[in-house]
Amino acid sequence: SLSASESFPMSQLFVKVDEVGAEALGRLLVVYPWTQRFFEHFGDLSSADAVLGNAKVKAHGKKVLDSFSNGVQHLDDLKGTFAELSELHCDKLHVDPENFRLLGNVLVIVLARHFGKEFTPELQAEFQKVVAGVASALAHRYH
Amino acid sequence: MLSAQERAHIAQVWDLIAGHEASFGAELLLRLFTVYPSTKVYFRHLGDQPDEVQLLSHGQRMLQAVGVAVQYMDNLHAVLSPLADLHAQVLRVDPTNFPLVIQCFQVVLASHLQGEYTVEMQAAWDKFLTGVAVVLTEKYR
Repeated sequence: SLSASESFPMSQLFVKVDEVGAEALGRLLVVYPWTQRFFEHFGDLSSADAVLGNAKVKAHGKKVLDSFSNGVQHLDDLKGTFAELSELHCDKLHVDPENFRLLGNVLVIVLARHFGKEFTPELQAEFQKVVAGVASALAHRYH
Repeated sequence: MLSAQERAHIAQVWDLIAGHEASFGAELLLRLFTVYPSTKVYFRHLGDQPDEVQLLSHGQRMLQAVGVAVQYMDNLHAVLSPLADLHAQVLRVDPTNFPLVIQCFQVVLASHLQGEYTVEMQAAWDKFLTGVAVVLTEKYR
């Protein structure tokens, strides 16, 4: 399980970088274009520039990251914390949970981009564990 | 199939790695072993705690192979055939491990290139490395 010390650097890094969520979601939609299937109502996603500049993508990316950051405050009970969101993603949004894993991985890459050398293997390991935990929690209520 | 722009992005990033295969490769392996410890089962010949010399040596070999793949990215089947045989007959690395290597590769690129690591580069390299992995596991059965 994830310990309190593992949440310390993570919440710090989230606070340091604005727009990490928007960048992560944007990169997800470009690197894995099939993920756009959930965002057809977002408007112009026709090019990398269009995706990264899209206001709805940015807004949604921020929303996702805020939720993520909240989850990070509750590493001892991710399944409980994300229970409602899990049901929402299953029942209303119909999102394949594989997308949570993909987004988590892209988020890690975005953090690496921002923090460079500071993003040590140990830090990467902590973040990967957290994103995997969140992805798993979001999939937990699927039925 | 890689588009002309994708090929350009792949080559452009490789130019930044070329000459530094050992250090990039060592970092790739260190991240792989730290983030995904189960992958160490495939590297027992490096010992329990692979030292820097071993990581540099093996990392260099892996990155040099990537460099060959970049050079012949239009003909991966032919150029990676010996490595595909090796992976199928000797190494037999479970295919689920290749995405883990690719994730660590992306993190190495992103952490080194930072502001220069555009989404187009990330997309091209993800597609390219996934293609390499497909070829390396193609002869498994």
